[in-house]
Amino acid sequence: MFRDFLAGATGRLLPASVPFRFFGAAVIFHLLGWATLVFAADDLPGFLGGPGLVLAALHMMTLGVAAMTAMGAAFQLLPVATKRPLRSVGACKLAFWLFLPGLLLLLWGMAEDHTSAMDAGGSLAVSGLLLFALLVADNLRQVKDMRVVTEHVWVALASLVLLVVLGLVLVADFSLGFLEDHQGVALAHAVIAAYGFMGMMALGFSYILVPMFTLAPQPDGRLGRRSAWLAAAALLLSLAGLVHGIAPLLWLAGLAGLGAVGLHLWTMARIMKGRMKKALGDSFRLIRLAWVMLPLSLIVGLAAASGLAVDRSGPLFGFLLVFGWLLSMLTGVLQRILPFLGSMVSVRPGIKPVLMSKLIAPGALRAHMVCHFAALALVATGIVGAQGLVVRLGAVVGLAGALAFAGFAANLWYKLSRHMNPRPQPAENT
Amino acid sequence: MFSQTQIGALLHEEHLQTIGALQRLEEFLAKQGSKRQPDAAQPEVRKLLEAMLALAAEVDRHYGFEEEHLFTLLSNAGEVGMVGLLTDEHAVIKPLAGELAGQARTALQTGFSAETWRVFHGQGMELCEREIFHIQKEEMGLLAAISMLVEPDEDARLAELYRNLPKH
Repeated sequence: MFRDFLAGATGRLLPASVPFRFFGAAVIFHLLGWATLVFAADDLPGFLGGPGLVLAALHMMTLGVAAMTAMGAAFQLLPVATKRPLRSVGACKLAFWLFLPGLLLLLWGMAEDHTSAMDAGGSLAVSGLLLFALLVADNLRQVKDMRVVTEHVWVALASLVLLVVLGLVLVADFSLGFLEDHQGVALAHAVIAAYGFMGMMALGFSYILVPMFTLAPQPDGRLGRRSAWLAAAALLLSLAGLVHGIAPLLWLAGLAGLGAVGLHLWTMARIMKGRMKKALGDSFRLIRLAWVMLPLSLIVGLAAASGLAVDRSGPLFGFLLVFGWLLSMLTGVLQRILPFLGSMVSVRPGIKPVLMSKLIAPGALRAHMVCHFAALALVATGIVGAQGLVVRLGAVVGLAGALAFAGFAANLWYKLSRHMNPRPQPAENT
Repeated sequence: MFSQTQIGALLHEEHLQTIGALQRLEEFLAKQGSKRQPDAAQPEVRKLLEAMLALAAEVDRHYGFEEEHLFTLLSNAGEVGMVGLLTDEHAVIKPLAGELAGQARTALQTGFSAETWRVFHGQGMELCEREIFHIQKEEMGLLAAISMLVEPDEDARLAELYRNLPKH
């Protein structure tokens, strides 16, 4: 499965700069997301949508962290899973250079409620995402094995197209005001983006990454595939329920979603049970947290859909979904995949490959993890108690954790550069 | 993971055994620490040092077979990048394992001093990390390539060859 990956590490297929640019951007958006939430803290309790800093902070985490990581991981891992190289490395780079400036403009437009900036930024970001989707779809065509991964990715791509359409409709509605239920469409957009696009990528790649990190046998893909299709059904039901405002459909969607998550977590538990590597470190504390947050987000989402304290359950649902599940999962994965890739690309004739442990700053990662757990607890408490100050305190702690995480990434980059370009030894005096 | 071929299954089985040995070594090294040398006369320590000798011999045998028989075949099938990467790693791990085996042999006879233990501890930890990472790549890259590129008759021949290699 990893032969293309291995070959790629030596430069034949995918230069390391491709995934690293996406992961690097994700690390920076992680910082920006928490920092923005510090300023938006008073608006988060009771937030039910609309332009402003909260919306920008949410999109920094979803598009900035989650989509960036999903794109980088997909470009690196899909050729591995499908055993087919990507059609064009240049196109991968172009996707990044369309997506990044588009996203920055979109975020600025959201923060400032600037419709033209949202239109232009959204279009540019969408073009980057669509190019990504085309590259991935091209890679997935005619792939017959690793169906547990590829079927998740197909659902993710279909969700991407759907969320792009919904996103453009929403942006146009800010200036034209033609939607009867802007909030319902916005919620559908959020659900399809988080659970559909980024979520299905995260779930699908878990079937590669979790066995790889834990040295476990490949799982039986049948349960995982059922989980993917049940999740697809849940996504469609939620879309119909939210756009048309039909509550029973949302309940059905929630139950189907919980069923899909149950199958996924059952498979993950079996992988963990069969693993050869016993000590997994802090990264798996974050991944385990994400496995708790995923069903919890669905339960809180169902509460919100039932009209139970919507001003609290609504924002709490969004927070648990984005910061609780996706962010915990992605920071857990990133802290494993960055040293893994770093060590892989350091394999060169005549140079001893750098040890992964040398690329890790355990203190920084421990600080990030502690801050992340504390920030989640504080912000969630602030949302439930409608206390902006508690949310701000949580966001400050989250920002401290994001700084620690950025420190880990910078340290990794510095040590890898030093390893790959050692300073020449001074000539001995004779 | 990719044990559909006979030779893949044999290599996978050895990977499992090696990982088990490495995890026992790593646990012992972590528990002991680098500053306090263990008593090499203790049965537990002797067993570990003997396991180190067996591990180094197994690394030698396993890598030798891969380089001599498998890598040529895979290179000819176009897998030059992967073969180059794995060969470069062999070139680092094999001497490291050999050096540790030498130290283990000496320790079995004369024990550890503070200095020899410090060196053994550092290199032992390095071996554990490098070899586990290497096995990770072989499990997911090499075995997949074998299952895709090696024909059944060739698979049977390689498996027979590997089974008949003398164990140290």
